[in-house]
Amino acid sequence: MANSGSLADTIYWHYTPNINYSVGLDYQRDKVSNEYFPSARFTYLINRKNTAQSQRNLYLKAGVGLNDSANHFYALAGDWETRRLFSSFSAKKSSGIGYDMFEQSVKVGIAPYLGDYGDLHTWLMVETKKNDLDNERITYPVLRLFKGGALIEMSYHKKTKWDIHLMYRF
Amino acid sequence: MKNLILLGLLVSSTVIYAEHHEQHGMDTMHSHEGHIHNEMVNGKTLEVDAQRFDQFMIGIDNNVVAVVSVQGMVCDFCARGIEKTFGKDKRISKIDVDLASGKVLLAFPVADDIDNADITKKILNNGLNTTDIQVVGN
Repeated sequence: MANSGSLADTIYWHYTPNINYSVGLDYQRDKVSNEYFPSARFTYLINRKNTAQSQRNLYLKAGVGLNDSANHFYALAGDWETRRLFSSFSAKKSSGIGYDMFEQSVKVGIAPYLGDYGDLHTWLMVETKKNDLDNERITYPVLRLFKGGALIEMSYHKKTKWDIHLMYRF
Repeated sequence: MKNLILLGLLVSSTVIYAEHHEQHGMDTMHSHEGHIHNEMVNGKTLEVDAQRFDQFMIGIDNNVVAVVSVQGMVCDFCARGIEKTFGKDKRISKIDVDLASGKVLLAFPVADDIDNADITKKILNNGLNTTDIQVVGN
């Protein structure tokens, strides 16, 4: 997984031994402090609810720096989706990466068409985000495309510019 | 203003794709033969898209098919693991994932190889739930 945004560029590899958790390595270049932060990450599935038409998830995420344990984060994230609708939230507290930050985000989306398995799938989304560094809420459009094991998500805001997220599932 | 233009481009491009996709779907419906509603030995009704099932059976006429009803299979990206997991099983000759109906079709050359508990476990290992398994053929 690779992400390029206004605050950092990251590359993240993760492995999911079972549905309850995943472990990974994250390599981040922070654009505020201009420093590199390798870290180990852990994601735990607190709760999942499957129905015939939907899936709901609640995750606890945490990460700690490999060079400096003062570099760490923890987050609570959740999502609910059907084939047509998507919603998610995240609350994340980061420390030690040159600054401390608490960030909250909410994302909602709709699929303009229902693709079959293997088709190109498209999601039109809107995300709103606020952190306590600049204490300003920003809201912007997000386009998510995926086909097979490849996913790309792009968003743009005049303040944070482009945010591009790439993911490939092996 | 730039944001509005950008949003407009994104929406219009996806709407064009969606219209093309829906049109394609309407075209293929002409040959749609409806659904298979077979009364099973256990009294349950099997509901499978006939055209999709016929397509699936091409080249595997003598196989037995396990029709697995799955909950939570709402995302193509998340369902990739199912194909990968069952693809490793040498007893299975063909796999189909149908997001619309929430069904996974698994073809077995030998009926005795169908192990409901194993199928249920593998679906669960992919974070999804099996609600029913019905066997068609032979």
